[in-house]
Amino acid sequence: MAAAMETVESLVAHIQALTKPEDVAQLHSLLKQSQSDEALRSQGPHLAPLLADLDPAKHSLGYLYLLDTYLSSSISREQVAAFLPSIARFLNTCSAYHIRFASDKFISVCRCFKDQVMRQQTPIQGIIPLRSAVQKLQNSSEQLTTLHSDFLLLCLLAKCYKPSLCILENDIFEAENPKDLFLFYYYGGMIYIGLKRFSKALECLHNVFTSPMANLNAIAIEAYKKYILVSLIHSGQVPPFPKYTSATAQRNLKNYAQAYLDLTTAYATGKHSEIEACIQQHIEKFQSDNNLGLVKQVLSSLSKRNIQRLTQTYLTLSLQDISNSVQLNGSKEAELHVLHMIQDGEIHATINQKDGMVIFHEDPEEYKTCQMVNQMDLSIQRLMSLSKKLTAIDEHISCDPAYLTKIGRERTRYEFDDFDSVPPKYL
Amino acid sequence: MASSSSSGITFKLHPLVIVNISDHYTRLKAQTLHSGESSSCAPPSNGGTAGSALSAPPRVFGCVIGVQRGRTVEIFNSFELLFDSKTHTLDRAFLEKKQELYKKVFPTFYILGWYSTGSDVEEADMLIHRSLMDINENPIYVLLNPAIIHSQKDLPISIYETELHVIDGNPQLIFVKSSYNIETVEAERISVDHVAHLKPSDGGSAATQLAAHLTGIHSAIKMLNSRVRVLHQYLVAMQRGEIPLDNSLLRQVLSLLRRLPAIESEKFQDEFLMEFNDTLLMTYLAMFTNCTGTMNDVVEKFNIAYDRHSRRGGRTAFI
Repeated sequence: MAAAMETVESLVAHIQALTKPEDVAQLHSLLKQSQSDEALRSQGPHLAPLLADLDPAKHSLGYLYLLDTYLSSSISREQVAAFLPSIARFLNTCSAYHIRFASDKFISVCRCFKDQVMRQQTPIQGIIPLRSAVQKLQNSSEQLTTLHSDFLLLCLLAKCYKPSLCILENDIFEAENPKDLFLFYYYGGMIYIGLKRFSKALECLHNVFTSPMANLNAIAIEAYKKYILVSLIHSGQVPPFPKYTSATAQRNLKNYAQAYLDLTTAYATGKHSEIEACIQQHIEKFQSDNNLGLVKQVLSSLSKRNIQRLTQTYLTLSLQDISNSVQLNGSKEAELHVLHMIQDGEIHATINQKDGMVIFHEDPEEYKTCQMVNQMDLSIQRLMSLSKKLTAIDEHISCDPAYLTKIGRERTRYEFDDFDSVPPKYL
Repeated sequence: MASSSSSGITFKLHPLVIVNISDHYTRLKAQTLHSGESSSCAPPSNGGTAGSALSAPPRVFGCVIGVQRGRTVEIFNSFELLFDSKTHTLDRAFLEKKQELYKKVFPTFYILGWYSTGSDVEEADMLIHRSLMDINENPIYVLLNPAIIHSQKDLPISIYETELHVIDGNPQLIFVKSSYNIETVEAERISVDHVAHLKPSDGGSAATQLAAHLTGIHSAIKMLNSRVRVLHQYLVAMQRGEIPLDNSLLRQVLSLLRRLPAIESEKFQDEFLMEFNDTLLMTYLAMFTNCTGTMNDVVEKFNIAYDRHSRRGGRTAFI
């Protein structure tokens, strides 16, 4: 026992000694070695006071190893709860360079942290530490890690959406685990719905069910249901499956979302009564999916859609006429609706209160400001970098043996006297 | 044979003359090449002579005409002459007939001299030169070097006069080179510009024309940019004290800057930004289309490669 304590203390001494960047590799091998022998692990529960000696910012790697051993050993929930602030401090102040040496340990520490926070029902505590953890773990802003989805889950549970935006707004180009990707985009879509940014929500949910998948999974089904509802709210119709949706998704998704597709057909008629009837019919389904709130929003979006349709026909219209054609109760309500829509930027109009007329305008954007120039410049730059990435992917796939095999097989079946640019070994 | 002329006469050459000479040479070269090829298909006994005819490019000859006012000689036009290689003389009768005709249209023009092609002055040229001396006491000899040397930036044209020099106790006429300037009339500038931008026949489609137009603008802007940068560096060095102050240059730069901006008004800003944004939008659209095309390709290939149940039957294009 004493010997074990001694090895641990010597280890701690080592950690404190090797702080320079060149020593990190050495420290890492030392730690890995100590991990394998039992001494450290048996001492797990007693490591807490030792951890207090180490500084998380300078000795990040050592701290991480000890922390991981401590947390994975058999300690009680209260001990973990008491340790929570130190973990939070560690996550906020650790050095990214160090922890990338032992990313799986880092992930398990964060997992433990998240579980504890969720158990305590205070998810808001974990948001900032996890966000800094995510930013430290990823190699670049385009990489998706396992922690992304945990972080978004915490934000959702805490109903605290603002901190997640900086993570959500990055375009993801690399992902290791498909489940992470699905969860990330599903939670991301839900966050955007909470923020009422429906177009971005559509993008995220779209990414979930159009991802390549061999077998259908529950996340994709849920995402598809929400996607139908959000696209009804946003644009009034559900677009068909794009070309890049996997065949599995195309064939099977619709079977699980029958209630929602009925809602779509009811919405297309444009009558309140139809939609309400449809909702009543499937209300248990909607409730069990936790989508009732969204469904109610679909209903209220119907009037918005009808008002928007009016802007395409009329230049001016009285409030009374609006309420009649959109089936609202009186001009007061119509005025309220139009006012909200003008504020949200969904239509351009002016309300003349004296005679109760609404005048619809064209989009006043004249594209002659410097800000517009900057905006366009940014978009063009973004497109150019995207285009470069796409050409790289294109070349990559063209050389892929799986692709060449399929192409070669089909070609020999149908085209005999064409030049054979596929080497025979792929046939 | 050549040293610089000390006669003090300024020569002004019009581009029409240069185009004429080069056109004459190119025509003759094309004709002899063609006839050389057809004669080489003849019995092989002639092959040797035909081959030798091909190797030496033909020399063309002609007359240059223009106006001489005081010490300035302005060469406006030229016409071709036939050269009799046996007697080494130019066709006199033709020359006089042509001279009469030209006199009727351009009464002020005189025969100022003659032209030929080649890389340097030759001995035989002196004979031709002397023969023209009875028309003009001091004829000029315009020589065009048809060899295309890409590194050479100047025009391959030289103007020679004759001077009486005493060599070995004998007074001899030798050719001396003179400097000249290029003078253009507005009409000539347009035609030279047009000739300079001639593209090969398959560049007639709108896309290549647009690309050529934009390339021209791009190189012009690049040149402007580099010149401004040179000026800027110079001024910065002057400010730092590395180069002694040059007040006359500074005054020139100041007057240039005072002339900018050319237009400054709100309406101009609006219009300018609108047009700028329109062009940006078009670029954006072009990039979008490009990107969408690539994306489409990627998706197709991905579907073929990885989707287990991709559609069979029917040809898929090998992209």
